[in-house]
Amino acid sequence: MNYFNLYSNILLTKGANRMLISDLQRRQSEIQALELYDIIEEFKTNSVEEVFSFYDDDSKEMVQEYLDFLLEKEYGFITTGDWDRNFAPLSLDYLDYNKISNLFIERNDLTIQPGLIQSIANLQIKHLVIYCGGNVSLSDFLKLEANFENSTVDSIEIFAPYHSEIDENFIQLLNKKAARIYNLVFFNCENEPFKAENAFKFDLLFSPQNLKISSCGKVSIDYFDTNITKVLEAINHNSCLNKKIGIDIHGNIKNCPAMPQSFGNINQNTLEQALTHPNFKDYWNLTKEEIETCKDCEFRNICTDCRAYTEQTHFNEQGLDISKPLKCGYNPYTNEWEEWSTNPLKYKAIEH
Amino acid sequence: MILIISKNKEVTTDEVIKWLLVMDKKFIRVNEDEVFEIKVASKRIYLESHRNRFFLDEITSVWYRRGGLKFKQTSYKNPAIQTHMRETQHWLEDYVLKTLEAKKHINKQSNSHVNKLMVLEKAMQAGLDVPQYYLANNTADVALGETIVKPITGTPILNAIDGKANAMMYTTVIDEPEEQEFFPSFFQEKVEKDFEIRSFYLNGKTSSIAIISQNDEQTKTDYRKYNIQKPNRNIRYNLPKEVEEKIDLLMCSLDLNCGSIDFIKSGNKFYFLEINTIGQFLGLSEACNFSFDREIAAYL
Ligand code: SF4
Ligand code: SF4
Repeated sequence: MNYFNLYSNILLTKGANRMLISDLQRRQSEIQALELYDIIEEFKTNSVEEVFSFYDDDSKEMVQEYLDFLLEKEYGFITTGDWDRNFAPLSLDYLDYNKISNLFIERNDLTIQPGLIQSIANLQIKHLVIYCGGNVSLSDFLKLEANFENSTVDSIEIFAPYHSEIDENFIQLLNKKAARIYNLVFFNCENEPFKAENAFKFDLLFSPQNLKISSCGKVSIDYFDTNITKVLEAINHNSCLNKKIGIDIHGNIKNCPAMPQSFGNINQNTLEQALTHPNFKDYWNLTKEEIETCKDCEFRNICTDCRAYTEQTHFNEQGLDISKPLKCGYNPYTNEWEEWSTNPLKYKAIEH
Repeated sequence: MILIISKNKEVTTDEVIKWLLVMDKKFIRVNEDEVFEIKVASKRIYLESHRNRFFLDEITSVWYRRGGLKFKQTSYKNPAIQTHMRETQHWLEDYVLKTLEAKKHINKQSNSHVNKLMVLEKAMQAGLDVPQYYLANNTADVALGETIVKPITGTPILNAIDGKANAMMYTTVIDEPEEQEFFPSFFQEKVEKDFEIRSFYLNGKTSSIAIISQNDEQTKTDYRKYNIQKPNRNIRYNLPKEVEEKIDLLMCSLDLNCGSIDFIKSGNKFYFLEINTIGQFLGLSEACNFSFDREIAAYL
């Protein structure tokens, strides 16, 4: 007898009508029919020959095709006599050493107060995202970088409006001096000042869009990421807000600048103080399993979970918003994607 | 206070330190560019470098990762005094190192660099299966196509071999005889493998990962020759209890309490290949969602 062994780093996510096979090692996911899910389940408790015997002659061909597919993709392997029981399951625990991993600031300039720099050091924050509403000069960028020399911050992402001083020379100089900036987006840019080829230490994008804080939280296949750490985090925590802290344009300390609740103001309080607020971490452990619609979606383990912009239809007994992210046009029950903003049912939520 | 002996930019050390910070454990990291003087204050010995200063009796545990503690040597003009002071210095250093090694530790500076040939002998004594091996300086007795050759040294890297690039010495199968005699080299029977296994051993506990490359000709002899297109499968694996017990025996006999150990699985047998005490293991640890870095931090 032959036995099919599924590799433990292959994660199957069952949706309403389809399933997603995620290869956590090779960082790829693909959509498959639910019948394959059932066949894989059968292979877990039956030998290959037994599984074939469950199907009539016509369907045997389909089972064979699926088995060939699983082997060809190296999602598993065949053993004779028994399953190789020494292969151990993957632990789905998520462990990380960050108190806070990500700080998201909305401001009109790039100055960071000394007190905040100290808090960033105390909390050992690694990633910084700044949405800047006002124009930024080269020296502003360099001052920002200098703030974090010898700090725990290892990557900085900046969104800022485009202005006429930004040309190839500006970017070249920034490229020479910057060490932590890894993603730079200049929005409101009708004409790219030059072709931004991948010649810099950071990713560079000139976007014609008028980006706002409210542009955050879009869900699209392009943003899905089959990264083992991210997936394990999503299985155990909120895939957007876990270990995130935000400061909005008025200095309010929040889970992210777009979330409604404030836990203090950076002009009076420290990030550490806000973190001790009994409700600060409420959303951290809200997973897609609890979110309406998402809980039936095959993409739930590789998708982000925006809690700031939602359909605002469902709340749990704790008062947490468990509605589907607003900016997702996917319907797991029909498997169709539509432009989320054109759906009339969503207008109500957008107006909020 | 934990003492960490390592090198600059050593990623495993960096990761373990991040866990120590969350666990609120105090530590001192010593890198290769530090030279210590042994000093005394109120009858307590302390070590001092340009960056660090600590009393010997403050240290509660030691992690020897790489490099080693270096001490400042003072010279004296008078040869008799020079000889005498050298010896004094030697015994002081010996005392410091032995005192540190007597504390709770993960590996030791004095025995962390293992002799591959000795290890194989000890592995056999511990009851592990070892592929037939021998040293030879010609290929007269080498069974072509069934024998591999690999370096006896700890590291397989030739630094800047052509003045610039480093070269990596991979395990290779011997296909052709060599006319001339050469430096004694290590030959080993090539075992037809189902897959390779890498075990991480820490203080009695073994966690293993199967590295499966069977579908892939390019990685057949040595998994370090990565095929980027279709990387090997790295899957959690449980070695049979009796193999784990033998690993424990072997590590104890070598007085090592941390390291990674390579095996080949062939049919029902697990062939021991080698122990690596200073290798990088975090990539595999992450791929299988083990947290070896956290375990090290927790033990210290
Ligand atoms: S909760 Fe939504 S708006 Fe806030 S950071 Fe996440 S995706 Fe963006
Ligand atoms: S339904 Fe939910 S999980 Fe599915 S794609 Fe949309 S937001 Fe993501």
